[in-house]
Amino acid sequence: MRCEEMRRMILEDWPEEGPAAVREHVAGCAECRAYVRDFGVLRVGFRALAAEPVPEPSWGFATRVLRRLEETRDEVSVEFLERAGRRVVYATCVLALTLLLALALPSSGPLRGPTTAELYLAQAEEVTAGSIPIFTGELPSNNGATPVAPQNSGTGKKP
Amino acid sequence: MGSLPAQEAQEVQWVERAQRGDREAFGLLVECYQRRVMSQVFRLVRRRDEAEDLAQEVFIKAFRAIRSYNFRSPFGAWLSRVAVNHCYDYLRKERASRISYHWQMAEESVRRIEAQAENPQGSRLDPEQQAALRDFVGKLLDRAPAEDRVVLGLKELEGLSVEEIAEILKLNRSTVKVRLHRARKRMLEDLKRWREGR
Ligand SMILES: [Zn+2]
Repeated sequence: MRCEEMRRMILEDWPEEGPAAVREHVAGCAECRAYVRDFGVLRVGFRALAAEPVPEPSWGFATRVLRRLEETRDEVSVEFLERAGRRVVYATCVLALTLLLALALPSSGPLRGPTTAELYLAQAEEVTAGSIPIFTGELPSNNGATPVAPQNSGTGKKP
Repeated sequence: MGSLPAQEAQEVQWVERAQRGDREAFGLLVECYQRRVMSQVFRLVRRRDEAEDLAQEVFIKAFRAIRSYNFRSPFGAWLSRVAVNHCYDYLRKERASRISYHWQMAEESVRRIEAQAENPQGSRLDPEQQAALRDFVGKLLDRAPAEDRVVLGLKELEGLSVEEIAEILKLNRSTVKVRLHRARKRMLEDLKRWREGR
């Protein structure tokens, strides 16, 4: 039996004495003898550890578990309320600030740019002015140089 | 004392009530299992001063997770899994802060322990040597990775079979065997290092 195989067997089975083959090998191999001896130390040590008396739960153990459960429930709900409360405060602040800004800033002037609605209206005016032709569909097949304006392009001025 | 099926039926009832949030029923389960959990926690963590606190945390975790228990395995096995996972997390965190021991053992004690290991029927260790050996192997265990400590603790200290460990850790038998093999090998290497550095 080779040393490797022998040690694998010991590691897997953790035998008290080992089969005859192990004993035979160990008798003639100093290194494996040391290996088996160390294993013996661990085995005896584990046995001693397993025999050690385990501590008993102290009186009122279950009551304390329930109290801790109660406390953690309180902690959880307090934490939730705190978090929710903080959010409400933030939201109120943001809302108040927005309202303040809306009231404080002038409705026209250098500080205030055009609103989206105003931009839209300006664009619409430009379009209806007819200065830019609006293409609908493909260019005509006659390869005309001038684009064709839609039939009812609105009330725009003529170019 | 009632018969076993009656006790089991009672336990199922308590678990069902606890699953609906009944703390009183959960308290009865704690009463039933507190010794077992405490022993398991102590054997895995080996900290007398922390065992009770950790055992309490196991029950708190168990209560929070009790709805995930599906009655397929015994409640005790499920609770063991919660305990083992909690200890594993604790050991993983604790190991980072664990100091490397430079441990001394009297030559005489070493000689006696080795002699006993070679011949278990031979001269018995006196209580002092027993304590020295416990301390020694305990410290070797402290230095081991959390994974090794859990599997060795369940096998060598709790005395569970490979099948029972596989059930608790949700692993197959061969994986448990491989882990045991690796854990023993690593401990042995550590023992060799100690011997060489002595
Ligand atoms: Zn050999």
